[in-house]
Amino acid sequence: MKNRIRVLRAEHDMTQEQLAELVGVTRNTIISMEKNKYCPSLKLAYRIAHIFGVGIDDVFTYEEEIDGPSSDEE
Amino acid sequence: MKRLTYLTCSLIVACMVAAMVGWSMAAGNFLIPVVAIPLGIIVILACRAQVDVVIADEREKRIRSKAALRTLEVVVIAGAIAAIILYSYVVSIPLTPIITGKMFLNGDGTQSMTIAEYKPGSAPGPQTLVRSTTIKDLNAMNESEAMTYCTYVREGFSENESRGLAGTVIGCSLAALLVTFGAFYLYYRKKY
Repeated sequence: MKNRIRVLRAEHDMTQEQLAELVGVTRNTIISMEKNKYCPSLKLAYRIAHIFGVGIDDVFTYEEEIDGPSSDEE
Repeated sequence: MKRLTYLTCSLIVACMVAAMVGWSMAAGNFLIPVVAIPLGIIVILACRAQVDVVIADEREKRIRSKAALRTLEVVVIAGAIAAIILYSYVVSIPLTPIITGKMFLNGDGTQSMTIAEYKPGSAPGPQTLVRSTTIKDLNAMNESEAMTYCTYVREGFSENESRGLAGTVIGCSLAALLVTFGAFYLYYRKKY
């Protein structure tokens, strides 16, 4: 799952700390998501999209080769 | 309150409660743990309510759940192997010491008995002898000889028995762990 959180954050002039506080997670979670190391829950994904005022598809992009059936093993 | 302050407070409270419980057990006062433990929990919960930052979010919960599952897998496999190895000291014949008893007829008509302990899994012989004792007159056994006779077999097997006990304790702990895991698994499966 790829995301545009860093770009949207820059567009809204928002720090990682501010976004983390708004969506109710730690800054480490935002860092992990921006590095594409952590795939958020649907609830958190919607919350992030809502904060930026865009649709979920504008923030997260599903990629078959990355997010295939075996990608969530580890 | 910051996260680090909360963790420091929790650690201090936990140490104080542990010290109070330890002291009360040593002093024989069993009322203190009944008061100290709930009080400690209340203080920690009150501290937690004062924390203004997110302590654990969904990523943290996922990390913890994966770490817990991996820990369970490793502990269960390693523990099962350890429990089987330790318990085999009780049931395995090659691992138990060989104790023999030989009776002799003395010249004066009395009977004597020699008890000997040999190394586990070896043929009885002078090279494999660990220790031996002789009861000179079996029919007129004195208290000291009777005690020696009683403790001889017990001492010979005590090392194996303590290993077996350790194996049994590990096995039972693992069983309790798996039962608890199974109960929570069924609970959450029903919930979700």
